[in-house]
Amino acid sequence: MNTRKSQIIVAAALFAAGAWSASGASITGTPHDLSAKGWGTTELCKFCHTPHLAQAVAGAPLWNHATTVASYTLYSSATFAGVASQGQPGPTSKLCLSCHDGTVAVDSFANAGTINAGTHFISTTNRVGSGNSLSSDHPIAFSYNAALVAIDKGLVTPTSTNYVDVAATIPLFGGKMECASCHSTHDNTYTKFLRISNAGSALCLKCHVK
Amino acid sequence: MRAIGSVIFFLVCLLAMGAGAANVGQSKHNLSVTGVGTLTANKSAAGASTEICIFCHTPHSANSEMALWNRYDSRASYIPYSSSTTKATIGQPTGSSKLCLSCHDGTVALGMVRSRSSPIPMKSAVAKMPPGRSNLGTDLSDDHPISFRYDAALVAMDGQLRPPPTSSGVHLDANNQLQCTSCHDAHDNGNPSFLVMNNTASALCVACHNMKNWNEGSHRTSTKTWNGAAPNPWTHTTEKTVAANACESCHNPHGAGGRQRLLNYAAEEQNCYTCHNGNVAAKNILAEFNKPSVHPVIDNTGVHDPMEQPLVPAGANRHVECADCHNPHASNDSTTPLGAGVSGALAGVRGVNVGGGAVSQITYEYELCFRCHADTAKGPSMVPRQFPQLNTRAEFTSSSGTNSFHPVVSAGANPNVPSLKAPWNTASRIGCGDCHNSDSASTPGGAKGPHGSAYKPLLEKPLSFADIGSNPGNSALCNKCHNFVNTAWPQHLQHMGMTSCLTCHDPHGSPNPRLINFNPNVVTGARSFQAQGMSHGSCVLSCHGKDHNSKY
Repeated sequence: MNTRKSQIIVAAALFAAGAWSASGASITGTPHDLSAKGWGTTELCKFCHTPHLAQAVAGAPLWNHATTVASYTLYSSATFAGVASQGQPGPTSKLCLSCHDGTVAVDSFANAGTINAGTHFISTTNRVGSGNSLSSDHPIAFSYNAALVAIDKGLVTPTSTNYVDVAATIPLFGGKMECASCHSTHDNTYTKFLRISNAGSALCLKCHVK
Repeated sequence: MRAIGSVIFFLVCLLAMGAGAANVGQSKHNLSVTGVGTLTANKSAAGASTEICIFCHTPHSANSEMALWNRYDSRASYIPYSSSTTKATIGQPTGSSKLCLSCHDGTVALGMVRSRSSPIPMKSAVAKMPPGRSNLGTDLSDDHPISFRYDAALVAMDGQLRPPPTSSGVHLDANNQLQCTSCHDAHDNGNPSFLVMNNTASALCVACHNMKNWNEGSHRTSTKTWNGAAPNPWTHTTEKTVAANACESCHNPHGAGGRQRLLNYAAEEQNCYTCHNGNVAAKNILAEFNKPSVHPVIDNTGVHDPMEQPLVPAGANRHVECADCHNPHASNDSTTPLGAGVSGALAGVRGVNVGGGAVSQITYEYELCFRCHADTAKGPSMVPRQFPQLNTRAEFTSSSGTNSFHPVVSAGANPNVPSLKAPWNTASRIGCGDCHNSDSASTPGGAKGPHGSAYKPLLEKPLSFADIGSNPGNSALCNKCHNFVNTAWPQHLQHMGMTSCLTCHDPHGSPNPRLINFNPNVVTGARSFQAQGMSHGSCVLSCHGKDHNSKY
């Protein structure tokens, strides 16, 4: 199978899974487009996905990258009411952290199911979770539900376990907030791969009543 | 059409604000280009921020303090609040207060955020918090204390604090410390100054503070308003009555002139003058202190301390301030005749009793006067005496059985005082203030009390101290209660044409009967007075060069 075909197939599979941004914006040319780095492949999707011989990583769509094994110090604060249900990052967030925590090389992807060690690590400015610590980052992997809202009193009540808002722009994953609640990996329309423009802190205010 | 459109847009915005009043975007804490305050990001500069939260918060790589903080800690070392009466342990700011101070101490640029490599440019080239009420500076000694533990132990030591708040809007942090956030909610300016609750009638202050007798006090209940004449008594609130201003009539939680106890002004009396100058309170007490004879409240600043002993020392630190005689938390407008007890104006003040012991709450006015005018009276006496005694407590106390005194501490010893005018009789009790009082006291609407008088020493009516030339007209003070015609000694009127009542009588008290205690500068010779039964006596002395040896 040629490269182009495999890209199309993976894309189709992912689109079917509903993970694609509805905007249809391209990942090409964004910071997540590593195809021109010269890191062992010119394929765009291959750094994360493969149509065959994918890694057996729960929750990861056709995963083709080494997965971080880090255990993180989690965000905590005296006023963070979600701490009771908070756990280690969920599967979807672990995919992000598999590049962004800096413990696994960005080019540690697989060729025909065999993972490269990789040599290129993410720049320090783009790291999240380095030093095995997520303590200075927005909490993830906590249940965001009506019970939390009742304690916090400064939050919007999610419409379902799948989305915060009626417009379904802010997804939840099994009722939990994860990296992908704010970030859309494949679409950099709003910079920082944000799901919506943060002008007027609109993204923050999707959840926070401030 | 366009106007209707904007109205609809406005209504939609209101709806969008949600159920809570919180809307940081509509408050001064929105520093973005859309902000409504004066301090906002420069719209036309490169790097202009439309983001609101960014000035304080970031989702990644936050300051390790808390709250996903996007600012750098101030490196300032602060002067914390301290006072002689606080029992709290107050150190450098901790917790969320440090976050607030990273703008409000004025040392860190407003646009300096961790998530940007260069500061967000602000309008009008403002960098740091400009001087003003929002810039607390690094000297926090004029601000309400923060970052101290507020627990049952503190409540017990203080005695005038409520148990740590749990259900009111005021809350402590996770370490039971009071922080800026106890009173302020940075996200919600629904109440002025981002207060966590409405502070009309100081509802916020009294969530913690529980001053003795405050509920009965006039400063809590008075509905008096300001007449508009300068100076403005309420510079830091928008409330219009004494009751609505409550604590803030005298106290200022930030930038207090008085620092200790956060009084509005450093000069103690100034805190009272701003209302008691005829502009708010009915009586102009300020004018009293401009009279020739006064309690000199203006003479000292920073000497009075609530922790001082009831007995005010004779030497160093001797002083009088309004708060030495009045308890502004407790005072009220109830009235009681001076001899019968204590009026509301003197409610809840300390004193010294007839035995010389300290009392935490006086039951008679004289106990207040004894703080300064008894065992630690300074002197010299205004009239030299044959038997000198500066201690009024001794003067008013029966010690020998033959002595005499005005009936201040107890009813008088002499059952036969024919000169007394009704309603006074020999069973009457009087107070110090029956003689030592404002000269305006008998004028309708005039100020009362020994603040100041035209007549020394702080007398309600004229009383001549001079020898030759006295006449009954300037013995008006004594004449308030005593007539000079119907007296046991028939020569009173004759002598009053030549000398002062004070030449022979010592009005507080004397070792002799009949308050006789001669002024040795006038009365020479044997200076002997003997009472000889009811309405009789004898004098052996020399006056104006003439020897007397008379009986009556």
